[in-house]
Amino acid sequence: MPLRADGEVLHLEAECGVEEALALLEQLAVPLPPTVDLRACTHVHTALVQVLTACRPRAVIPPDDTFLARWLMPLLQAPPA
Amino acid sequence: MNPLLASFVPESRDLLQTATAGLLRLERDAHDGAQVKELINEVFRAVHTIKGSSGLFDAAALTRLVHGAEDLLGEVRAGRLGLTSDMVDRLLDALDQVGVWVDALEQHECLPDDAEAAGSGLVAGLRALLPARDGGAGGPAAAGGGARADWLSWLTEAERLAVSRRLGDGAAVVAIRYTPDEGCFYRGEDPLHLLRQLPELLVLHIAPRTPWPPAGEFDPYRCNLVFHALAAVPHDVAAHLFRYVADQAEIVPLAPDALLEPDVADDAPAVLLPCLLAEQRRILALPAEDAEEMRRRIAVVAGALGNLLHGADLPVSQAEFDAAVSHALDTGRAAPLLALLDHLERPAVAAAPEAATRPATRVLKVDQERVDRLMNLIGELVVSKNALPFLARRAEQVHGSREMSREIKDQYAVIDRLAQEMQGAIMQVRMIPVSEVFARFPRLVRDLARKLDKPIALVIAGEDTAADKTIIESLGDPLLHIVRNAIDHGIEPGPQRAAAGKPGGATLRLSARQEGDQVVIEVEDDGRGIDPVRMRRSAVDKGLLDAGQAGRLSDQDAVNLIFRAGFSTAAAISDLSGRGVGMDVVRTTIDRLGGTIGVASVVGRGTSVRLSLPLSMAITRVMTVEAGGTQFGIPMELIAETVRLDPRRVRTIKHAQTFVLRDEVVPLRRLADLLGMATPPPDADAHHAVLVVRVGGAVIGLVVDRFREGMDVILKPMDGVLAGLRGYAGTALLGDGSVLLVLDLKELL
Repeated sequence: MPLRADGEVLHLEAECGVEEALALLEQLAVPLPPTVDLRACTHVHTALVQVLTACRPRAVIPPDDTFLARWLMPLLQAPPA
Repeated sequence: MNPLLASFVPESRDLLQTATAGLLRLERDAHDGAQVKELINEVFRAVHTIKGSSGLFDAAALTRLVHGAEDLLGEVRAGRLGLTSDMVDRLLDALDQVGVWVDALEQHECLPDDAEAAGSGLVAGLRALLPARDGGAGGPAAAGGGARADWLSWLTEAERLAVSRRLGDGAAVVAIRYTPDEGCFYRGEDPLHLLRQLPELLVLHIAPRTPWPPAGEFDPYRCNLVFHALAAVPHDVAAHLFRYVADQAEIVPLAPDALLEPDVADDAPAVLLPCLLAEQRRILALPAEDAEEMRRRIAVVAGALGNLLHGADLPVSQAEFDAAVSHALDTGRAAPLLALLDHLERPAVAAAPEAATRPATRVLKVDQERVDRLMNLIGELVVSKNALPFLARRAEQVHGSREMSREIKDQYAVIDRLAQEMQGAIMQVRMIPVSEVFARFPRLVRDLARKLDKPIALVIAGEDTAADKTIIESLGDPLLHIVRNAIDHGIEPGPQRAAAGKPGGATLRLSARQEGDQVVIEVEDDGRGIDPVRMRRSAVDKGLLDAGQAGRLSDQDAVNLIFRAGFSTAAAISDLSGRGVGMDVVRTTIDRLGGTIGVASVVGRGTSVRLSLPLSMAITRVMTVEAGGTQFGIPMELIAETVRLDPRRVRTIKHAQTFVLRDEVVPLRRLADLLGMATPPPDADAHHAVLVVRVGGAVIGLVVDRFREGMDVILKPMDGVLAGLRGYAGTALLGDGSVLLVLDLKELL
């Protein structure tokens, strides 16, 4: 299961495909969204990127994956428009 | 089944259909440039989508095959290859194979064992049609050395340096602006994954295209991101990577000097102007102590706007501007300047709300079983509703309450109306257009025409005509047979047509229309027609009739001989229609559906086969009769009339009882005897109740004990152990809970 809730932290692990988008949205579209841990994530589908950008988790723990860490994190950490 | 696979199967079938239809149309009318482009795009997209979704399953051979088809289509789409009939043949073969595999996936959730072997041959065939790759000659026009993407101005200094350094080293760098289509996720695309495959990615900016909507309206499956990337790869490598989304990605090779002198001034007004204008508006809106202060502010704003007017290209003339300023200063009010600001800001505002008004088609794909279940439930509702009149009668007769009885009847009227409307609505759901069966014919006719070398134009009309799904689906095989017959036997080879003075290209017309509660389908050809003389001779040769019988047949009856079992006039049995399935089978199928078939033919001019079928089979009107103490239903469409017969009018000819009805001798049968029921001999003096029925063209009188009322019933076919029982069309539940057996007179007599 690429999506694993653990208390206040939501772990995204391994390859997170498009089918997780609604589940992720459900977890994040709440008044106090959890922290998202991307460390063990190897790829996030673009649809999930949209959810992460639109819903603004409380904090994002950067992924170990270099591609994601380098190119995705700036988007997730940018101040809201 | 895996839910993804369950949606992949019908979706792929639709896409295959789209692709096949598109290819056929491309081949047929490939002259209108714009239309061709649209068609080829449609076919390409369909094939591409299948490829994308198929990757989710264990179907590598399928993916490879559609990939091969897609590459070929890609070349055609890019205009590097013209579409030939040979190419269409190969592509259609590939699509057929994909169709077979989709069926296999549906049944076994995996491809057959020989898939790999079957696929590689087809792929090789497709690849053979591809032009040989000539070392990068088809590269892009490098846009005069000065090409640069307009968004480069927002690179950070560090990024600019890194890219400049690579450019300085002589590396090729491309700038990519990738705006994925909103629906791209539905086609199995993952833009981020695509970008990940770019080697030597130097810069990647991801940004939303429009601000995110509030959480409630946010749709994660609608792509709203835009990607800007710089990568140190040659243009053709990048273009190859983005070939499936070529219309969504702009790929520009970066000139070596593109980043050396960042020319900010060019882009600045576009970005700054709205901010400056907004600021002026804010200044004007500030509360002013008195008119003098307001004038000072107006002067300041006028100065700023005046500068902008000179520096940027504002859509306001100097005279207009001067007039507004002097008017504002004279009156000490900001209104004229605000109006000017409105005018300046408007273009930017007007462009925004377009995206919101996107029409959405709302189509629901529902499993047929669910619709059938709904249908059954409504059927039961109709039946339970029919119990209310019984209840009303009881209220009156048993409990002596006439008022109660009337109230129940009132309620019954309401429920009856609702139930009928529901029935009508669900019938509509079950209605599908005949295009569902017609759709396969363009392909079939094309293939047969090519095989037999008879040029044939297929004309399809009225494909929107709708009828019940069961009817439409059972029409496929009969129609297929009729069309094959027309092409094989009806339409003459070219030389014969020329000799007869007919145009070389034959016309086959397939049409559907609604007539009352029937759907009429006609297959007409302009071929040689059916010759009654040959039919008679052939019938005698085959021992179906003796010469005398044959001679007495009218021409129309002779033509109708094609429906006789064991009749085929084709001199040589071809692999097309002479497969032991004759027109008699077609007639049986149509009979079973409650329809009729007729053929009209003029020698030398052509043949027309006409099928007439009920629009819906769900509700059957039956007449109930009593025989041997039991109630039976008889389909109303078979009943010609009801007669009270004086026993003295019954004539016995040999052992058969008959009577004369309007100068015609009608055989008389007792229904109870037909059903093998033991009944006491009828009262010799009582009049017989005779139901005159017309079965298969013959008129027969059925003696029953009593006539009962006619009613609409939902006929359920006999299933399970009872399925083999002959003589019964099915059962229906009556309002009082009893079961009515509905007879199939064709089988019984």
